[in-house]
Amino acid sequence: MKFSSEQNALVWALMASVISLGGALLAARPIQMIANLSSPPAETSSADAQAEIVTSPELAAQGQEFFAMSCSECHGDDAHGDEGPDLHNLAISNARIAKTIKGGIKGEMPKFAKKYGDKEIAALVSYLRTLR
Amino acid sequence: MMIDPALWPKLHGASVHFPIALAMAAALFDGLGLIWPWSSPRREQFHVAGYFTIILGALGTFPAVLSGLFMTKGEVLGHEALLFHHLFVWPAFAGLVGLGVWRALVGDKASSRGFGVYLFVLFLVAGLMAGAGYWGGELILNS
Repeated sequence: MKFSSEQNALVWALMASVISLGGALLAARPIQMIANLSSPPAETSSADAQAEIVTSPELAAQGQEFFAMSCSECHGDDAHGDEGPDLHNLAISNARIAKTIKGGIKGEMPKFAKKYGDKEIAALVSYLRTLR
Repeated sequence: MMIDPALWPKLHGASVHFPIALAMAAALFDGLGLIWPWSSPRREQFHVAGYFTIILGALGTFPAVLSGLFMTKGEVLGHEALLFHHLFVWPAFAGLVGLGVWRALVGDKASSRGFGVYLFVLFLVAGLMAGAGYWGGELILNS
């Protein structure tokens, strides 16, 4: 069977698009690793330290419910990470965690400032602090 | 090794508009070439312009996609606006590369049916590129 030049071109076009798309998606993982290597470590600013969030075991229980509703889809039911990162042993301040929950991370995590008030955010932070 | 955190957003912003504009221009040129009278030399000129713009557009997707992947640290889907952006980006990327390769290999030897299918997919891809650009803009405005 002999293919026309147009049919050959179609096969090449399909192969090129599959290879390009596959290559881009495969490159995502090493890119992620390189980007993580070159990212500066999270810092706690003096403003963060001044606005420290008060946590408590009572709040933590409430925060666990909020976590199950809004966070577990990405961070996993046990918060050990899924699409989002593992949230155990966070090495940043409570205020920094609260700020991240409120404002999200551009391109990575949605904002929750409209959904949760300060009290609910404090509950979430309390719960995250129990994750060791 | 520390890389300027703003490097990839800057490169993405600098590179992403070329494939968007070129995909739309290719659809416009080849569309005009299709409806222009047979007797006019302008018809051939439109198709030549469409030929080069689609190939340049396909080549332009690579720096745009790679800088985007570096910018989002390898995120291929994401949430909210980024998710919508990617839902347009990936089929547009595959489509534009495929169209560019097909056009480069076939040149002006395409059958009228083959070229009709090409043009249909090209308009579809131009629409997807517009969608990707729209959600990319939403990402910047709402961040």
